[in-house]
Amino acid sequence: MNKDEILAKLTGIFHDELDNDGIVLSFETTAEDVEEWDSLSHIQLIVAVEKAFGVRFTSSEIQSWNNVGEMIDCILAK
Amino acid sequence: MILQENQAFKHQFKVDEQVYIGFISVFEDRNSLHTDEEFAKNKGFRSKVMHGNILNGFLSYFIGELLPTEDVMILSQTINFKNPVYLDDVLNFEAVVTDQSEAVRVNTFAFKFINADLKTVASGKIQIKEF
Repeated sequence: MNKDEILAKLTGIFHDELDNDGIVLSFETTAEDVEEWDSLSHIQLIVAVEKAFGVRFTSSEIQSWNNVGEMIDCILAK
Repeated sequence: MILQENQAFKHQFKVDEQVYIGFISVFEDRNSLHTDEEFAKNKGFRSKVMHGNILNGFLSYFIGELLPTEDVMILSQTINFKNPVYLDDVLNFEAVVTDQSEAVRVNTFAFKFINADLKTVASGKIQIKEF
């Protein structure tokens, strides 16, 4: 998958997990840009992303991300 | 993480008078299916049917009291009711850690409640976070 394909798949995951089909993700999107993306929903998102892409993150990887694009880079590197 | 993948837990719960009356007194669900013997029989059940959400109370007890750590919180849970539970039913509860996410310290349990006839009365999943 390329970055755009991962972004599209991530968008679907965000819609499902955050119960909002209106969310539009870009590589620059951060948690501050998405009202529903709070500390608890972040946990649910990580679990859902790991499952959807068949990857496992480390806590340091998660903490290093500044935006969705860096999450995608991490998925691509797996 | 304190919990391990495939770690299994078992416990026995009884839906006795105290649980049944306590649930009604707190939540005030006196629907006839749960309180009227004849009504329940007319609907095809052998007796009044216990509230399904009593089982969610048992799940709360499992997470809050039976795990090897108190440092947990429930993130989500789903439950599917498959067979009725009647007053004084003894339910064997089984739960196993089916998935873990180390990065966010999340455990997913699959669980089921089995009655004395070995029928699964409810099953589902619970996600919890270890602090």
